[in-house]
Amino acid sequence: MSFDVSRLDYGLVTPLLVLLGLVFLAWLLDLMLPERHKSAIGWVSVAGLVVCIATAVPLWGVRADFAGVIRIDEFSVFFTVLFLLTAIGIMLISMEYANRFLPQSGEYYGLVLAGTLGMILMGAANELLTAYLALELLSFSSYVLVSYAKTNLKSNEAGLKYIILGAFSSSLLLYGISLLYGTLGTTYLPDIARSVERLGVGQPAFGVGLSLILAGLGFKIAAVPFHMWTPDVYEGAPTPITAYLSVASKAAGFALVMRFLIGGLLPLRDQYQALFALLAVLTMTLGNLVAIQQRNVKRLLAYSSIAQAGYVLVGLAAITADVAIAQQAVRGMMLHLAGYVFTNLACFGAFIAFQNLNNGREMVADLAGLARRAPFVALTMMSGLFSLAGMPLFAGFVTKFYLFAAAARAELLWLVAIAVINSTISLYYYLLVVYQMYVRTPPGFEAAELDGHGHAVLATVSPAPSLAVAGAVPSLAAAPGGGTVSLSEGGPGTAAGTHNGYGRLGPDGHATHADAAIGHVPADTTGGHGLPGAHGDLGTHAGGPDVPWWRRSITGDMAPERMFPQYRIPFATTAGLTLFLAGIFFLGLWPAPAIDVLQAASQALFAG
Amino acid sequence: MVPLEHILVFSAIMFAIGAYGVMARRNAVLVFMAVELMLNAVAINLVAFAARVDPQRFSGLVFTIFVITVAAAELGLGLAIVLRVYRMRTSVNVDEIDALRW
Repeated sequence: MSFDVSRLDYGLVTPLLVLLGLVFLAWLLDLMLPERHKSAIGWVSVAGLVVCIATAVPLWGVRADFAGVIRIDEFSVFFTVLFLLTAIGIMLISMEYANRFLPQSGEYYGLVLAGTLGMILMGAANELLTAYLALELLSFSSYVLVSYAKTNLKSNEAGLKYIILGAFSSSLLLYGISLLYGTLGTTYLPDIARSVERLGVGQPAFGVGLSLILAGLGFKIAAVPFHMWTPDVYEGAPTPITAYLSVASKAAGFALVMRFLIGGLLPLRDQYQALFALLAVLTMTLGNLVAIQQRNVKRLLAYSSIAQAGYVLVGLAAITADVAIAQQAVRGMMLHLAGYVFTNLACFGAFIAFQNLNNGREMVADLAGLARRAPFVALTMMSGLFSLAGMPLFAGFVTKFYLFAAAARAELLWLVAIAVINSTISLYYYLLVVYQMYVRTPPGFEAAELDGHGHAVLATVSPAPSLAVAGAVPSLAAAPGGGTVSLSEGGPGTAAGTHNGYGRLGPDGHATHADAAIGHVPADTTGGHGLPGAHGDLGTHAGGPDVPWWRRSITGDMAPERMFPQYRIPFATTAGLTLFLAGIFFLGLWPAPAIDVLQAASQALFAG
Repeated sequence: MVPLEHILVFSAIMFAIGAYGVMARRNAVLVFMAVELMLNAVAINLVAFAARVDPQRFSGLVFTIFVITVAAAELGLGLAIVLRVYRMRTSVNVDEIDALRW
């Protein structure tokens, strides 16, 4: 494969060039801005990423190579836009967290952008060296980001574990690539496909090389048995980076796996089908069973993300000789990955919003009563968890259904059965989190009940998200163990409170301690909204005109006598959570446009 | 001329020693050295294949240059992290790095 340097079409890689410029702009701004204004870099990045998306969308429908190594087609444009959206989401949920928990947060944004560049290249790689470099670009950014919390021992240890296992896995991958290169004489995926068709898989070196490559990529997507780094790294990393790794890095890994297996090794699909079926079973079963025992939210979500990778592997197992079925499987995987990105970001975004106001706490039990302390955060997290579990109305149901339907068409009914059983298992530990948020009483609030203070400040589930709540009620009722949870949809009268003094905010966005002599508000003014399953009489009008319910957050670390100061959730976080919720419900309620888009993407992948 | 098989066996042995080192060594710096050994085995493989299998193009050689560069960067990054862990723990023994439990 040869090309003429003077005739390269740089128009094809505009989004990559814009993103590269943005990386350097972010680092440049870091040098110029004072420490307290670092989150401005986050906003500049968000704006730049929107520009990137605007340059990527016109490439839809183009099918061309850049220098033979970067393939631009609907598949790569789809993943480009998905990763850029992910990066926007990560930026939005990072800003507050970085200000609070990360010292010298300036380089942070540039590193996230550099990693995103690597991910986009992974989805577009048409050659193994490019794929390797893209993977390392992502990995290097991740190593630094995981150990970004300099003074935190856990973060540093996670970084060390990650880089050791990452370096080990990339040397496995490289050794595999070198053997593949030795047996086939090329590193270009289309040439590999032609050689494999011609030569078959006679040489043992080829088999060894392929196994090593799959092992190396298995580390990236955290498939069992290459998953052991995941929980430790996810727990130790700063939470936005955990989110970044669990969604984007995984999706990018799968994008590369799909490119490699379908672009380069499609003729061998019969050989690897059984292998992926086995990996899928192991990955989802282990992920779900171990997740049940987790008490740390980050570890729980880490194991849940391992299980989600298992579901996507079901799609890889369903790539059969029948092109129509194989394309449906690819669409299912892409759809599930897209849904998973928004879903998991919703969970993590909500969890980050929680951590920001609760001193970085991370145990499941710390979430107790979140629905009343920060209603919108709890609502987002609940939607995310239900979507992960695959509840109808949420994205997770549609995407899993589509994916498993492809596997069923590929006559892998036993695998679908195992996947469905696993989804049911996963519901248990997702519901444990929902239970903490919606049924348990927030710590310290019991005391408040006794002295009458709690009535004025406890939040409630407000009427606006009636769609989500209405969806949650039947889902919960149908769920095993869900009988204890009974949400009632708030009517318009919920926000009855007007004479509440707690909503006043100081100029820095923090609540000033308002007058303590709040009158006892009779519970019946609320009409029983909120959470009758727990302490329905508490749910009433916190907030007031100053803090709307979706931006309200009451910290759990405050003693009751300090009157539960309320904080206004920053705009960036609210915007991020809204974006993720929109993604979840868009895919969950109206998936048709997304499937149309994927139609072209899956065809492009098979067209090679 | 050295037969290709000899080079491949040599690099395979080197790779295996490296892989063993990653698993058996307890000192984080030595673990990184073992990873370097694995990457060097890859480089030997690539150069050998570039000369024998793919003589018209440079793919293997270009690949080798990138592997060496990336390996150096990886080691630099790894040692920086090791240094920071050492400052907090005064140890680089990977067995003692246990703030995170499976």
